[in-house]
Amino acid sequence: MSGPTGPAGRVVVAGMGSEYRRDDGAGPAVADEVARLVTGVTHLGPLADPLDLLGLWDGAALAVVVDAVRSGAEPGTVRVIHLDDASTGPDQGTGPTSTHGISVAGALRLARAVGSAPRRVVVVGVEGDDFSQGLGLSPAVGRAVPEAARAVAELIGEFD
Amino acid sequence: MSHGSGAQRSVSVGGLARVEGEGSLHVEVRDGVVEEVALDIFEPPRFFEALLQGRRADEAPDITARICGICPVAYQMSACGAVEDACGVHVERRIADLRRLLYCGEWIQSHALHVYLLHAPDFLGCADAVELAERDRAAVERGLMLKRTGNLVMETIGGRAVHPVNVRVGGFYSAPSPDSVTALAEPLRRALDAATATVDWVAGFTFPDVAGDYRFVSLRSPGRYPVESGRVASSDGLDTSPGGFADMVVEEHVARSTALHARIDGRLEYLTGPLARYALNAAELPPPAREAAAAAGLGDVCTNPFRSIVVRAVELVFACHEALRLVEAYEPPAPPAVEVRPVAGSGTGATEAPRGLLLHRYTLDADGVITGARIVAPTSQNQLTIEGDLRRVVQAGLDLSDEELTWRCEQAVRNHDPCISCAAHFLDVAVDGR
Repeated sequence: MSGPTGPAGRVVVAGMGSEYRRDDGAGPAVADEVARLVTGVTHLGPLADPLDLLGLWDGAALAVVVDAVRSGAEPGTVRVIHLDDASTGPDQGTGPTSTHGISVAGALRLARAVGSAPRRVVVVGVEGDDFSQGLGLSPAVGRAVPEAARAVAELIGEFD
Repeated sequence: MSHGSGAQRSVSVGGLARVEGEGSLHVEVRDGVVEEVALDIFEPPRFFEALLQGRRADEAPDITARICGICPVAYQMSACGAVEDACGVHVERRIADLRRLLYCGEWIQSHALHVYLLHAPDFLGCADAVELAERDRAAVERGLMLKRTGNLVMETIGGRAVHPVNVRVGGFYSAPSPDSVTALAEPLRRALDAATATVDWVAGFTFPDVAGDYRFVSLRSPGRYPVESGRVASSDGLDTSPGGFADMVVEEHVARSTALHARIDGRLEYLTGPLARYALNAAELPPPAREAAAAAGLGDVCTNPFRSIVVRAVELVFACHEALRLVEAYEPPAPPAVEVRPVAGSGTGATEAPRGLLLHRYTLDADGVITGARIVAPTSQNQLTIEGDLRRVVQAGLDLSDEELTWRCEQAVRNHDPCISCAAHFLDVAVDGR
């Protein structure tokens, strides 16, 4: 369930992606699981576009963005990426070539430029395998969902 | 990136490619004449047309909402309209008004996103919205405030801002409380001021002096600017029901693209969206929007596609003003939905998504199961016109550098705000014998 517009809770967990593109649904699946494991977090998603984060994550102390990734690693591999200044430099973010596309790093750069960024942003990537049209995660990605959710829960616990 | 030498050159620009959006643009010039323009976009509605078959009609609004994260309300409203048309149901005024209010929220957030974060950087020489924010923070803050206000309306009426959950065939699952709706008034008043300032801002941009010879198509609804209902009208005299129009539209698949190409009667290209709505309905705009349009130098018809950003800003004024009017007149519908009994037959729903006309046509069996579904999205209707614009832009810009020409082409695509799932995520301009 999407959280309120405007000032977000102290901790925001957002699932990026579309469950109609198989493993692209990994982000929303993990965010759903985190919402079951951890009380008091603002749960966002499924979000199709990182720009949707603007306004929804404003004021958060910690924002965890869970997304499917394609890096060449084994399907189901979970990576935790702390977005700092180095990872949101000028080459990261939006481009003039996209009509809507913006990365999470780009959304963060934009939020920082207007002073509405969460204090800390962490991206949790789940390596996908099958991004074709259809419902359901591939087996390796499905098995990774609880692991990724536990990783997010630990992040939140450490933050508290 | 530039490739080739001598008589043949190609320019390609790589971009971010989220899996929802896949597409490219390919332009070929031979001996100084534009020979081919191909905008290749990925079109998810076709997958959903198959997915809907065998599902209950009352599931259609929630299923089709997932086609687009930017305009889910458009898909929900056209889906409801198609089912209700098939079943011979008309919703009462209070439900229709609440739908219009929800839809205004979507227009506000979508137009604010496009005007400020996607289109304005093109005109101001900024690489992207981040650079624009670094240069003019107040402008981007104004845009984000407008987008937040649209989201707030969608969340209050629809239950959440992205993929609303309160919409059902026949109306809503629950009517929002009068207090929660009244609380929208103050943010909407501020948004109305911001929208008026937006028109002033974009009217000052520099626009290429071009004009398209467009056949405009939009809904028309006497006494009101079209949003959630109306008949289908065109600038060359068409006036028909949504079902009649759906019968006329022929979509063709071409081998080079996954996108469908729509024509009236299989022959006539046409354009939907802000330029079309404005051309056919400017007289229905409320005074603040008409005054803003006049101050921006817009006549009753705008045929310069680059000035679509001004028309979109005028529609922001309209949407904020209309939302405020509906908030102030709000009466909770009771019950929040009318009963819709399944009837075997076909029905069409037509509404105005922020980026253009969206048609849904469903065939239902006597148990209310969908046996056939057709979704005609704005981007497939605008595809041929966008390609025509690109042809003119390239022909007029052959003396530009590869980089400038590529930029101008991307801007020409963005003039028509193709939807996220149909976005052109990278541009490939092949120039042969220029």
